Amino acid sequence: MMILKVKNLHKIYKNGTHALKGITFDVKEGEFLVIIGLSGSGKSTLLRCINRLIEPTAGSVYFLDKDITHVKGEELRKVKTQIGMVFQQFNLINRRSVLTNVISGKLGQLGTFSSVFEKFPQSLYDEAYKSLETVGIKEKVDERADSLSGGQQQRVAIARSLMQNPKLLLADEPVASLDPATSNSVMQYFEKINKDFGTTVICNLHFLSLVRKYATRVIALKAGEIIYQGLPSEINETWFKTIYGEEAEEVEIR
Amino acid sequence: MISNPELELHPAKIIQLNKQREDKIKFFKAVLLDIFFVFYSILVLQRAIYYKFILQLKDIPFSWGEIGVIFIFSVMLGTIWAFTKTSLSCKLFGVAKENKTTKWTVEIFGWFLFNITFIAGWIITRLSIVDLFSSEGIRGAERIFGSLFRPEMGIFDDSLFAMIETIYIALLATLISIPPTLLLSFVTARNLMKDNKFTFAIYYVLRIILNFVRSIEPLIWAIIFSVWVGIGPFAGMTALLVHTIASNAKLYSEAIENIETGPVEAISATGANKIQIVWYAVVPQIVLPFLSFTIYRWDINVRMATIIGLVGGGGIGTMLMQYQGLARWHEVGLIVLMVAFVVWVMDYISAKIREAIY
Repeated sequence: MMILKVKNLHKIYKNGTHALKGITFDVKEGEFLVIIGLSGSGKSTLLRCINRLIEPTAGSVYFLDKDITHVKGEELRKVKTQIGMVFQQFNLINRRSVLTNVISGKLGQLGTFSSVFEKFPQSLYDEAYKSLETVGIKEKVDERADSLSGGQQQRVAIARSLMQNPKLLLADEPVASLDPATSNSVMQYFEKINKDFGTTVICNLHFLSLVRKYATRVIALKAGEIIYQGLPSEINETWFKTIYGEEAEEVEIR
Repeated sequence: MISNPELELHPAKIIQLNKQREDKIKFFKAVLLDIFFVFYSILVLQRAIYYKFILQLKDIPFSWGEIGVIFIFSVMLGTIWAFTKTSLSCKLFGVAKENKTTKWTVEIFGWFLFNITFIAGWIITRLSIVDLFSSEGIRGAERIFGSLFRPEMGIFDDSLFAMIETIYIALLATLISIPPTLLLSFVTARNLMKDNKFTFAIYYVLRIILNFVRSIEPLIWAIIFSVWVGIGPFAGMTALLVHTIASNAKLYSEAIENIETGPVEAISATGANKIQIVWYAVVPQIVLPFLSFTIYRWDINVRMATIIGLVGGGGIGTMLMQYQGLARWHEVGLIVLMVAFVVWVMDYISAKIREAIY
């Protein structure tokens, strides 16, 4: 079953940048789709158009066979609660505890009153602890988010998105600001979520070694257009040069 | 597939249309600015330089008819000038032709504007080196300075109490300002209000009101309130309060506009509603700047409370005004030294507190 269908998606920013030029692709349930491409090729814009953090200029997005391109208000919030998102800069609330950060993933399903006064049922705390356990940092629960290392912050961010019980998890260059070793361990958590919970993952990545290791399918963007779609193992030297330009050379990240 | 009207237009066409519309708006602004430039130049040349300096007129003739004629003339000249696309404003808004004429106009007219403004300023302020160094004037200044540095200690107790009154006026104005300022800052932050036409209208109206209130100096507010509630500390406090709310609401809302957008994006991606986004992603980022602004404002208010006292707002300023009116410079000296000392201490304390909380 197709969890996501993107049809002829365009995004033109106010300054005239044509970031997406007619993107069309489908995502099957349970896939680990990786999007690669140079900086500025439109990867981040594409992810943000899917969960409507950015409004696409034209085209449509179908999530679970429902057109979500133009849904508004309450309905849009309902769609958003089903799509988790992890960012390059982690985007945690720095001055709050890890626990509060994780619980904030559930806000879409909580009432305004109870979330402002932080009156949560015990079951919510249990769920938060479980999410933190999944990413292996339960012991940091009471620390302030900005006291953690980059890798730990990203794991908290993953735990936060797990609170949504997302059907689809979007990850915008989740390891781009982490060192190679940490990158790999963070990617393993995405793999675990993908395998254990059957969550579909769409992830923007830079390093081909990580792509080959984790992706079940790859889409390559160049200047807002899809120039490659297929298995990670099929990306050879020629494709690599097409995607990243003649000057590029592959760096190994283990 | 659902047909989408926007797709009928080629994306390149959309970009082109956007650009054209933007250029039109820019050009319109350039026309208005050019009209202003011409109008301003003629007025300054005629009234300050010709009437006041060359003819040395005491009473400068004034009639709305004359101004009107000049204005209509400026409108025509400015418009024609802008339409040549070589004017100063066209260059400023980036819609000018890139050629030699533009370059020369910009240079010559730019210098011209700067020079007539400076010369007019010189004439209007009656800048006079002679007055500054006249022997009689210098003797007067010596007398006052001499007295200031030999303060009269006999009024120490009275002025101390007046000083404490001033500090409390400032403190209370700052404290009471906090709740209304908080409320106003959220509804005057562009990034929170712009998504919806209704909220944007509220934002816009409130901004205008706040700008208006802020543009009236605390001194003027003090005069208004000393009539309204009677001369005394209460009038001074109310005047400070009004101005504090208007200024701090601006600072607070700018802090809200400058927050990191990452957390806001992350929280809104979870499907949270507006209030939840503000509470979880905005508020934690602005608590410290808010605290810092408020403490700084208390410091400013102590200084302002002194000035406000001059027009009957109570405290040390009122006392200063009384002794100054009696030309008792030794007493004035004591008060000035006390104010300087307290302001210095407040400045130091508030800087330390602000350092500590960051």
